[in-house]
Amino acid sequence: MRQIITKRLSMLVLVLLGVTLITFFLSHVIPGDPARMMVGQRASEETLQEVRRQLGLDQPVWVQYFTYMQGLLAGDFGDSIRTQQPVVDDLIKFFPATLELALTAFIIAIVIGIPIGILSAVRKDTGWDHAGRFFSIAGISTPVFWSGLIGILIFYKFFDLLPSSGRIDLTVTPPPTITGLYLFDSLVTGNWSAFGNSLWHLALPACTLAFAQLAIVTRQVRASMLEVLGQEYIRTALANGIHGPVLLFRYALRNALIPTITVVGLSFGSLLGGAVVTETIFSWPGMGKYVVESIAFLDFPAIMGFTFVISFGYVIINLLVDLTYYALDPQIKE
Amino acid sequence: MKRRWSSLFTSSLLVLSLMVSACSSAPANQSQGEAKPAESKPAEAAKPASTTPADTLFVGITSDQGTLDPAVTFDNSAWKITYPTYQRLVEYDGETTEVKPGLAKEWKVSEDGLTWTFTLAEGNKFSDGTPVTAEAVKFTFDRTLKIKKGPADVYSVIKEVKVDSPTSVTFVLSKNFPPFLSTLAANYGGIVNPKVMEKEQNGDLGQNFLANNTMGSGPYQLTEWRKGEYLKLTLNPNSSVKPALQNIFFKIIPDATAQRLQLEQGEIDIAEGIPNEQLKALKDLPNVDVLQKPSLFVDYIYVNSSKGNPALQNPKVRQALSYAIDYDALTESVQEGYATQMRGPIPKGLWGYDESAPQYKRDVEKAKALLAEAGAANLTIDLLYSDNKAWWETEALALQAFFSDIGVKLNLKKIAYATSREMIDKGEFDLAMGVWSPDFGDPYMFMNYWFDSVNFGLAGNRAFYKNGKVDELVRKAASINDKAEREKLYKEAQLITIDEAPYLYLYQKDFLLPVSKSVKGFVYNPMLEGIYNLAEMSK
Repeated sequence: MRQIITKRLSMLVLVLLGVTLITFFLSHVIPGDPARMMVGQRASEETLQEVRRQLGLDQPVWVQYFTYMQGLLAGDFGDSIRTQQPVVDDLIKFFPATLELALTAFIIAIVIGIPIGILSAVRKDTGWDHAGRFFSIAGISTPVFWSGLIGILIFYKFFDLLPSSGRIDLTVTPPPTITGLYLFDSLVTGNWSAFGNSLWHLALPACTLAFAQLAIVTRQVRASMLEVLGQEYIRTALANGIHGPVLLFRYALRNALIPTITVVGLSFGSLLGGAVVTETIFSWPGMGKYVVESIAFLDFPAIMGFTFVISFGYVIINLLVDLTYYALDPQIKE
Repeated sequence: MKRRWSSLFTSSLLVLSLMVSACSSAPANQSQGEAKPAESKPAEAAKPASTTPADTLFVGITSDQGTLDPAVTFDNSAWKITYPTYQRLVEYDGETTEVKPGLAKEWKVSEDGLTWTFTLAEGNKFSDGTPVTAEAVKFTFDRTLKIKKGPADVYSVIKEVKVDSPTSVTFVLSKNFPPFLSTLAANYGGIVNPKVMEKEQNGDLGQNFLANNTMGSGPYQLTEWRKGEYLKLTLNPNSSVKPALQNIFFKIIPDATAQRLQLEQGEIDIAEGIPNEQLKALKDLPNVDVLQKPSLFVDYIYVNSSKGNPALQNPKVRQALSYAIDYDALTESVQEGYATQMRGPIPKGLWGYDESAPQYKRDVEKAKALLAEAGAANLTIDLLYSDNKAWWETEALALQAFFSDIGVKLNLKKIAYATSREMIDKGEFDLAMGVWSPDFGDPYMFMNYWFDSVNFGLAGNRAFYKNGKVDELVRKAASINDKAEREKLYKEAQLITIDEAPYLYLYQKDFLLPVSKSVKGFVYNPMLEGIYNLAEMSK
């Protein structure tokens, strides 16, 4: 176990190094001058040059890269060109919102997706199976901006049950920041009104995002279950008089979950990065919007910070996936 | 292991049921008594125009702000926060582009236009109670000039600011600059509390602090900013003005449809981010008005007159392009008709506009003849644009069709906004799309920026147009104080620049704003586009 972790962690460093290198050079090759964006179009040439000097943009790209990496090792992501605040501060502000949204969507997708997948496999080719597949395919093939708006139309406009934007009501004070996840922080501090209010705000965007991810989970569970159910040891178990839930959950599901974990783990990574559209529709103050605005502004430090955090998350999830593998089936050594 | 799985399953079932209930019905009881009056909701028809408190205004904006420092920001959207939180020496008067007294109750200018002396009105205080003095005025302008960002360029004409007494301040200019008074009414003329120096970090003159806070003497102050969510203004307790609106929320709602729904539901009072094509539907709503006023915001095409395709250096080719366009069809297709064709560089509504100046109309035969005369048959040119404005794509396609009618092939080059700015600055294009709106109410904003050959590139002369006579005319117009004489010079320069067509003068947009019927007292000033006179508004 320890070996796997050490090996994986060293890989992690290499991967992150590669990601920073590629992103840094790519974003600096794009023509466009962030200093110009910053000083405005009518500032004099002198001012422009001075700002470029301040930002280090007058240095060769590789020098800029080393300066950046030096800072990064010390935990400094540099200052955002657009907001003129340390990127770390911005990320700390926006990342928890995205994480909270993605995590909730992820949990909803798993909790609804796994039972549907099992049901579809066990009741293969029946009405249940067709309905389950229809539901999940509908989710993956409906663009988020569409299902999100339909959700707003139904739950906000017609029934007036759920809010259409933001993380919490303007009049409700958010819980004190511990993790930045409103649900968690308000739970820990026992702030029930903030908890209820943020859950209420989270419901629609998280369900929308989960709807789009559902198919990945159900289809994978269904396929793996079908494969496992056709194997000899299941038949042996059946011959030995083991049926029903015991067979299903103790013998079949455990094996079927192994490939599911890989797929689902990776889909969480894409949830994190892909929440941009959902964040726009629901005015969700997350990283997605932050990075889109940063890209338009050629805000290199912000783009780098975003990429770094997302790839870090991805690599960590991968590690967790592998560890879960190991826990589920100790025969997998690698 | 056995136990673990069964307990996992039961617990997941539990979570599932919780989630399902969260998705479908939501804990509605937990929301009671909060912002949204969910209980005993009146029927759809009886819905009030606004469901929000009468002393609180909710404005839907599309994106978050960058820095709010008046000495740094050049961004119109930040000005809607800073304008009501700072005061200026002079202010725009109602709906006009003229100025009236602000912090200064009176002023006088020397014969040669080089010294401007302002007498401050007494009783104005910053939000922390510090009185606004001549010292603060000097501090503000010295600070802007030291910071050297965009606004410093506007004020580069200031040689010295002198404090004569606590209520009198004198600006010494390095040359006569007639629009000076008008620049003082712009956002960057906002007077900053000198106490900001207590918040200085690493010699930044308080830039970091003012990026996120306000320290002015306006009727409001910024009290809360949840990044990505909203900005909240409350009253400056020390202001002599007592506005009706106690709180203003600028809610960030990037999606147009979401904004529209919130306006319909009365959750916001003003929705800034709704595109023109959806406004017609909004007009039918019982609780919403759509305000429509002419604006000074223009949409035009830079024709690269010295660095692009050589054919464009010939004025006849540029005229031919101007004749190829069907202006009415264009404004109809890209702005739903909510726009007016320009007559020349200076838009209608600003002094200096020439009603009698010739205007291009579509004339395919004339355009073809001009091209033939110029020996530019079978011309192929590129059009540079970005996704900065939503309507540019449609506009590009329309232009492509118009030009093909006169035998000019137009290649559409759509690239990233930041890159397009770089290319425009360097002159790496044939035609490029652009918009312009004035910072201060003087034709200088159009004529000197667009045509003076010292302003090549992003600075303003984006057509890289050089004409000795025009240079002379606009420079002279910018150096004398006689308004009538200035107007005459600008009109002369306009006639030349309309004829030589270094720009394709397309249209000036209408200002359109969907507002809840409950909002009263809003006055639109074309110089303060997107800025609200909050202190005089009510609900």
